[in-house]
Amino acid sequence: MKIAISGKGGSGKTTISATLTRLIARRGLSVLAIDGDPNPNLIQALGLGPGVEAEAVPRSVVERREDEAGKTRHVLTSSVSEIVGRYGLKAPDGVTVLVGTKVDHAGAG
Amino acid sequence: MRSIVGEIVNSSDGVTVMDMEASIEHLSRGTLRYVDALLVVLEPYYRSMETAGRTVPLARGLGIERIYGVANKLRSPEDAEAVEAYCRNHDLELIARIPFDENVVEADRVGRAVIDYDAASPIVEELSRAADFLLREVRVGGNGAGRN
Repeated sequence: MKIAISGKGGSGKTTISATLTRLIARRGLSVLAIDGDPNPNLIQALGLGPGVEAEAVPRSVVERREDEAGKTRHVLTSSVSEIVGRYGLKAPDGVTVLVGTKVDHAGAG
Repeated sequence: MRSIVGEIVNSSDGVTVMDMEASIEHLSRGTLRYVDALLVVLEPYYRSMETAGRTVPLARGLGIERIYGVANKLRSPEDAEAVEAYCRNHDLELIARIPFDENVVEADRVGRAVIDYDAASPIVEELSRAADFLLREVRVGGNGAGRN
């Protein structure tokens, strides 16, 4: 199950994402939380202490490839478990968190 | 960068919860095409609901079938009614009505998760119901059926 949470800045989106993540994990499921916000604070909202930071997943984990039809596709250059192992942080209730963005939007694609 | 998140979400087997970027212009196919459900956080203010009003059709256009409202920071029955009226008018199912919760502010002040600060907080109780709803309605019936 893949859930995305959207809302205006300041709406409580991150607190809601983090709390929902912890609650789903408490129901016995393995949950990967992804911080797609350019000002990441999901890590703290999940209960990792102040000052804990994750290394953002770099652009290099995705490669652009063209298929036979000439359509550009993005493919991962390593497996999700490798990405999670390298960049993921463990949060309470067995949650894993990845920080997916820390970019200036001028160069974001 | 958005496609990185999208590809990771696509390729992971368990439950993924994605805290999206605030600005709706970043709601792109790259990030959202694999999503089973989109939750739109609504505060009982005009501008918050106006933002949602632009998000929902965009998300529907991307083919996301399950879009749910989550009302947050409700301070009065009038606040709740404003959000409920909005959702009725926009055919959006409201799955949580979270009151303004002082524990969120306090937990943030002391650097803790609100669920650790006070597990009986109103926000935790309300989202607990939303979690049950999602596991029942989306996990079982969603695109991700059988894949967790």
